[in-house]
Amino acid sequence: MNSLLEYFETDWQAMTASDWVGAILTVVIFLLMIVAYFQVFRPKNRERLEARKHILFEDDERDGDDDGGR
Amino acid sequence: MQASLEHKYDFEIVRWFTIMSVVYLVAGAAIGVYIASELAWPFLNFDNPYISFGRLRPLHTNTVIFAFGGCTLMATAFYSVQRTCGVRLWSEKMARFTFWGWNAVILLAVLTLPLGFTQSKEYAELEWPIDILIAVVWLSFTFNFIMTIATRKTSHIYVSNWFFLGMMIMIVYLHVVNSLAIPVGLFKSYSIFSGVQDAMIQWWWGHNAVGFYLTAGFLGIMYYFVPKQAERPIYSYRLSVIHFWSLMFGYVWLGAHHLQYTALPDWTGSLGAAISIAMIIPSWGGAVNGMMTLSGAWDRLRTDYVLRFLIIALAFYAMSTFEGPVMALKTVNALSHYTDWTIGHVHSGALGWVAGISIGAIYHLMIRLYHTEMFSERLISFHFWTATIGTVIYIVAMWVSGIMQGLMWRAYDEYGTLAYTFVESVDAMHPYYAMRAIGGMIFLLGAVVMLFNVLMTVRKSVVSGSLAKARAVPAAA
Repeated sequence: MNSLLEYFETDWQAMTASDWVGAILTVVIFLLMIVAYFQVFRPKNRERLEARKHILFEDDERDGDDDGGR
Repeated sequence: MQASLEHKYDFEIVRWFTIMSVVYLVAGAAIGVYIASELAWPFLNFDNPYISFGRLRPLHTNTVIFAFGGCTLMATAFYSVQRTCGVRLWSEKMARFTFWGWNAVILLAVLTLPLGFTQSKEYAELEWPIDILIAVVWLSFTFNFIMTIATRKTSHIYVSNWFFLGMMIMIVYLHVVNSLAIPVGLFKSYSIFSGVQDAMIQWWWGHNAVGFYLTAGFLGIMYYFVPKQAERPIYSYRLSVIHFWSLMFGYVWLGAHHLQYTALPDWTGSLGAAISIAMIIPSWGGAVNGMMTLSGAWDRLRTDYVLRFLIIALAFYAMSTFEGPVMALKTVNALSHYTDWTIGHVHSGALGWVAGISIGAIYHLMIRLYHTEMFSERLISFHFWTATIGTVIYIVAMWVSGIMQGLMWRAYDEYGTLAYTFVESVDAMHPYYAMRAIGGMIFLLGAVVMLFNVLMTVRKSVVSGSLAKARAVPAAA
């Protein structure tokens, strides 16, 4: 076995319940991150997502201009 | 007009937190300058245990992180959540409980830390009764924020609120787990963790205090106040979404890089270092996102000093989020750990990023909360230069002294014995400790000028009656 394989060697028998919970959660969250990247950078979603950046200025339209009432 | 917003929103609590944050900035920086001076000129300890470095240092960190940082986060979160959701705070009474409770925590820290009551956990020194109070007050802040979002009149929750909320939820979890202890008296307790597990829990909290409290929370400030001050929407909303989820997923792994070459299993440190390096990508994505918001309007930096604070803060954010991962690498860590390089790194983040973005946001808020221009634009400019120059002097001094320390500690002579004694390395640090104290004094000078400018703006508002007029404007239908 080369040193790299040795480094990644895992004693599956020694895995405890919390090891399994942690490992499964990590892999699931990692996969969800891939889904998030895919969804965010999908050209189809671009317009919908970018439109949300204007929400910040909706309060000015709603409440009047943001000049501090000066 | 904006004046009628005094009826629509609860700005009073925002004003309280804003003023207190500036007061605590001055207090925290002043204690920092004093303890930096104690290291340069040790006679300043005066053989008095209550003002010795060991007791004042946690008071400094607690004042700047929890008093200044906390009040800034609460002011900006309560302000921006109301503006972005188009509704008043869910509970005024709960917000006032948060204010008085948080200030009670700070007062208790000021009383107990110099007296030597401590759990000896970094950034979590306060004893168990205060820890319980922190948890209750923080939960009131979190619950009020969540309920305000729940009652919003807008369809989408703007990204700054995601960052604030991420911080709030994670800090509850981190603070409660790290503070689990068995009390043996009113002022003494012992952690339920022991040995290397205690160390790992400590740095799981310690680095996430940086990651969620001092980064995610202040990124919430960035995503609201940079576009508002620049009067342009954030450069890329998609990037902000990826920035958010990457930080939430990535930061929790990093704590182990504080424990390289210790009893912690080797793989844990390697994992911490690997994820630290990966975190450069979202961190820089966020910094670029903030800076590129000015795309096409860079000329604003010539005249808008508030915007200068916000943008220079992002430059420091980018710099420290590159430096941190590099320091996490085992080969670099072997040189940098336990040296002043770490202190320099922390302060490039704390003074450059956290204080910079906070100061910019506070100036932005002052104008809108008191319905008047700042007392002096020139003093803001003066503050900008003192803050920037003071920070640069501080971190350069610590880089030089830290690398020198690391090299001196690992130097061997031809017989294989250490080339320098520890005391020789301490002696060699003296000029840099003096330089650090001077850098801190320059930063403190700027903070005092800011406090003066803020108080004079409040006075100006009272004299001109601008706030009273704003309150007198009838509520919009």
